[in-house]
Amino acid sequence: MTAAPVATDSVVARPEAGTGRLQLEALTKRFTGRSGTVTAVDQVTLDVRAGEFITLLGPSGCGKTTTLRMVAGFEDASTGHIRLDDAVIDHLPPQRRPMAMVFQSYALFPHMTVAQNIAYGLRLQRRTREEIATSMRMALTSMNLVGMEDRSPHELSGGQQQRVALARALVVQPKVLLFDEPLSNLDAKLRDAMRAEIRRIQKMFGITSIYVTHDQDEAMSMSDRIVVMNKARVEQVATPGEIYARPSSVFVADFIGRANFLEAVPERIDGTSAVVTVLGRQLTVAAHPTVAAGGVGTYLMVRPETMRLTPVTDGGTGIGVVLRSTFHGPSIDYEVETTAGTVTVTEVGKDPREALGEGTNVDVTIDPERAYLLTQD
Amino acid sequence: MTVLLSEPAPAAGPTAAGPRRPRRDLGVQALIIASIVLVTIGAVVPLVAVLATAFGSDALPRYAEFFTSSVDLTILRNTLVLGFLVGVCGTALGFLFAFVQARLDVPGKKILHVIALMPIVSPPFAVATATVVLYGRRGVISNGLFGIEYDIYGLDGLVFVLSLSLFPVAYLGLLGMLRGLDPALEEAAMNMGATRWQILRTVILPLLAPGLVAPFLLLFVEAIADLANPLVLGGDYTVLASRAYLAVTGEYDTTSAAVYCVILLVPSLAMYFGQRWWLNRKVRTTITGRPSGSVHLVTGWARWPIYGLALLAAAVIVSLYGTVIVGAVTRVFGVDNTFTLDYLKEVVLGVGSEAVLDTLTFAAIATPVAAFFGLVVAWLVVRHLHRTAWLLDLGGTLGVAVPGTVLGIGFVLAYRPDRYIGDFQVFPSLVGGGAIAGGAFAIVLAYVVRSVPAGQRTAVGALTQLHPYIEQASTDLGASPLRTFRWVTLPLIRPALLTGLSYSFARSMTSVSTIVLLVTPETKIITSQVLSAASTGRYGVAFAYCTVLTALVLVAFALIRLVVGAGVSLQRTVTSERQKR
Ligand SMILES: Nc1ncnc2c1ncn2[C@@H]1O[C@H](COP(=O)(O)OP(=O)(O)O)[C@@H](O)[C@H]1O
Ligand SMILES: [Mg+2]
Repeated sequence: MTAAPVATDSVVARPEAGTGRLQLEALTKRFTGRSGTVTAVDQVTLDVRAGEFITLLGPSGCGKTTTLRMVAGFEDASTGHIRLDDAVIDHLPPQRRPMAMVFQSYALFPHMTVAQNIAYGLRLQRRTREEIATSMRMALTSMNLVGMEDRSPHELSGGQQQRVALARALVVQPKVLLFDEPLSNLDAKLRDAMRAEIRRIQKMFGITSIYVTHDQDEAMSMSDRIVVMNKARVEQVATPGEIYARPSSVFVADFIGRANFLEAVPERIDGTSAVVTVLGRQLTVAAHPTVAAGGVGTYLMVRPETMRLTPVTDGGTGIGVVLRSTFHGPSIDYEVETTAGTVTVTEVGKDPREALGEGTNVDVTIDPERAYLLTQD
Repeated sequence: MTVLLSEPAPAAGPTAAGPRRPRRDLGVQALIIASIVLVTIGAVVPLVAVLATAFGSDALPRYAEFFTSSVDLTILRNTLVLGFLVGVCGTALGFLFAFVQARLDVPGKKILHVIALMPIVSPPFAVATATVVLYGRRGVISNGLFGIEYDIYGLDGLVFVLSLSLFPVAYLGLLGMLRGLDPALEEAAMNMGATRWQILRTVILPLLAPGLVAPFLLLFVEAIADLANPLVLGGDYTVLASRAYLAVTGEYDTTSAAVYCVILLVPSLAMYFGQRWWLNRKVRTTITGRPSGSVHLVTGWARWPIYGLALLAAAVIVSLYGTVIVGAVTRVFGVDNTFTLDYLKEVVLGVGSEAVLDTLTFAAIATPVAAFFGLVVAWLVVRHLHRTAWLLDLGGTLGVAVPGTVLGIGFVLAYRPDRYIGDFQVFPSLVGGGAIAGGAFAIVLAYVVRSVPAGQRTAVGALTQLHPYIEQASTDLGASPLRTFRWVTLPLIRPALLTGLSYSFARSMTSVSTIVLLVTPETKIITSQVLSAASTGRYGVAFAYCTVLTALVLVAFALIRLVVGAGVSLQRTVTSERQKR
């Protein structure tokens, strides 16, 4: 599925370098229906740098699609503003916004061939025949669609349809590319390939992109930054690494990857670090700004793969007892009963034949560098 | 436990007899036979009678005559031109209403929807009669308002009336299709810079184009099969249906009539089955994934001219039906506008009461029978028959595929004479003076056969969507197929039953073309009374009949819904009738 290497000057001219900055200012959308008013998007503020690939990530119904559709102009914001390169575009209809969307259903025109689909936007722009032919050839090459020009969309596989949809969006030289769960109709293998493909193309053209997904793995692997949304609001905006290591809330930590939450009472707070006693050890860990000394509802977030189990061999009892082990191939998951509740510990790269048996007494150690102190909401 | 033990072992392998098809349940067999008998006596025998007469030795020279006679050729051309024009105009009108309904941001769309459905529940020539009164030479509007002496009789009047009467089918079909378009397609176009007009031209119309073919063909068939309107409004413009009718009733020349019927049958059947084939093709309009996005209604100034056009059409429809109602209580509408209840009295209490009563009785008998057989034929076709399914399906459909006039003439040919084998009378005369029960049997049979297809189609649609596992679960528990049908299938497809009943009743009450050939002095039918009143210029009486008839249909709809339950709106009712598969 990997595309042939492509010359970087391919397809069409890139948008002028440095354009495509997109700002959402306290964007809010309320739907009024028979059953009352729903706030689908609540005060979303976001500054997307030109050329940046940003993902809106969150559970179903949290308002991702609505946000994207407001950016595209399909929905009017109830309040708030959208700026593109500093100009307010709130009142521009979708036709006049220099953006292109890749739909979840691809929305390829079934009555047109691949070539006609791709040329559609160019025809609307009244480009000359030569220009259309050039853009088309380059789009087909860079999307690995050469030879399929005359096929009808339903004669293509899901992945190919996806690439046609992307090509159709790209040739119109949008300043912003919008994606609404574009990979959710593909099978797992193809999905991985398409992630790389989309990211490669996006980097090649340097087009500002907003990508909606509910798949955290997709978000982590593709994005420059991730916007985690929950219940119509933004929970956190940060790079994938930051989101993973320093989630701003229990919700984010739980939604992105797996996490143990160990109840902890901060004894001392010193700027962004705090001292807590967890599983019988005093640790100095990084803390979220909302954490207060002596506060209740504070948890130490520890990723399962940052914990270590050591069997207690000399007949003594450790901190915990192994309840269950699950073998996953490259890793082994243990559920360990401890004084602080049941925790999950992942060991990577161990010989599975040396897995700890159920009932083994173990000591559990936490890497304080990689733990993070959070408050519940 | 004993029950379980007495059950045959489920895993039993092939018996000594080897693998065999399970023997058909007796009840199912009985239903198959009953359906075949109904289809045979109601449609196949009359059709064969027509064909036998039309290809009998004394008929053959008529073809040469037909194809050399300029009069006859003109009739053929008239018929085809009428079908074509009604197909085009009716489909265009249907598209106009559907587009306004689905895509314009304008007020009053609910009312517009109801207006567009009005022609379904009224007898076909109510519009024709009202048209003469309003838009004819002495028309209240054409002459009274605009001072024009317009001759509405002829092709123009027929196209006008038939398009207005028949377009609801096109409207509902196209509305369903427009609503079914993935809105994301339009958004994709919008997103790439297409204007409203460009979206309509490059996306919506090309996608709907295949969908325009089926309503066109259907309207074509219905237009060339229509008899009542050419009789009332045709003037010198003769079509095959009215020519055949005249041959039977005026010239007593059944051979000529049969020949005209066969010539009418060819385009009818071709178009009808062409339409079915077209609908059944596997067309891919959507590709992957579920529809997404939302519909963006047209809000700009461009909506107003389109809306205006639809309003104009709606105003015409309302004026016509208004005339029917007002005309029923006015001495001479447009000339002597004094209020009178005489016409309604004549219809409800006077000479007309007999017709109203007879019609109601026959329709009340025919409706459940037709709905029942519609369901049964569908159930047999979808669930129980395999290789022979298409044959029964086809048989059940003959009632609408064959033009009503042809069917009526078939009845006359097949059932008017007493049938003897030797000296023994096996079949008494069913049609005409001296027929048993005054011809009532033939009339009810004609109602049933004409109404079965609507119920059948709805039920085929409903059953196809119902997963067979649901029924298999019941049979696995030991229920016989009939029990399963009664207790599982029927409740699940109740909306289809409701549709079947409503449609059967409406069709029975308003059908003309077959019935006018079957009425006898003892059996009077509202529609044939209207026809004679309208063609003798007694418009007040005709309007009174139409008003009463429409009221009866609406009351029956309410009653049927009350009895059967299931809150299904008329729209749903009718659209589901249109969806087959
Ligand atoms: N057109 C609409 N009318 C009413 N409510 C809507 C509409 N579109 C979305 N919503 C509601 O807004 C909320 C957010 O929806 P959406 O943006 O589609 O979520 P997501 O894409 O994150 O799954 C949901 O509760 C949804 O029901
Ligand atoms: Mg969504």
